[in-house]
Amino acid sequence: MKVVVKHWHAVAQWRWDIGTAEQEDADNDNEGDVCGICRVPYEGCCPSCKVPGDDCPLIWGECTHVFHMHCLLKWIGTAASKQQCPMDRRTWVTAERKVGTTTAAS
Amino acid sequence: MASISARRLAKELREIQGEGCPVGISLLKADDFATWWFSIEVMGESLYQNEAYTLQFRFDSQYPISSPAVQFVVTDGKQAPIHPHVYSNGHICASILGNEWSPVLSVVAVCVTLQSMLASCKKKERPTDNDRYVRTAPENPKKVRCHLPKSVSSANSFPDTIPL
Repeated sequence: MKVVVKHWHAVAQWRWDIGTAEQEDADNDNEGDVCGICRVPYEGCCPSCKVPGDDCPLIWGECTHVFHMHCLLKWIGTAASKQQCPMDRRTWVTAERKVGTTTAAS
Repeated sequence: MASISARRLAKELREIQGEGCPVGISLLKADDFATWWFSIEVMGESLYQNEAYTLQFRFDSQYPISSPAVQFVVTDGKQAPIHPHVYSNGHICASILGNEWSPVLSVVAVCVTLQSMLASCKKKERPTDNDRYVRTAPENPKKVRCHLPKSVSSANSFPDTIPL
């Protein structure tokens, strides 16, 4: 038997590796995975951007909280923020990405 | 293009309309993304039993990066609750509305905090500097300067805040 493939549609999905890949699928309710500042999913983009992805990345704090980078920087840029994490009010320290396994190609 | 605040507020509004507000809190009017009104009532035993108050929220285009301007409505026969942190002009002295605002808070979270501020009140009285404050108060309640004793600070919505 010979099969001729006439067309095919490739479907792909991407997600930010937020460092909880193992449990992520388990507690994948639509609630947990939003930026606490704009309430848009991490995989969406911040309100100032039009295209999600590398141009609207996430930022990690040493306190383990994650936000859209643009949202967090907008907050940290205000005097009112006192440079604190919006979640726990600890002084914001940007963390090195703990998860180095992902490559740009993923 | 919709402003930052419009997107976030549209989301909050959808949630309120879909899931409703916590008990005692209800949305009165939200026709735009500039001003919303809520009715707020303390449930259970408290000094404010069967008293409903109207809260007004005003948002600028930078919400939630900038805090909303929140006050009790004191026009059209409405009054502000008598509380040591609520001035008779409706302005409220609560840390989360001022220097402890955080963009992860929401309209409903503010309502709940103010509801519990009323619920925990031990004595119905106006702030000690009420008359002086009201005479010189700025129009914008965000500029409230609280000169109240620290020990009666009302907002405890961040129990895990690390004291400095």
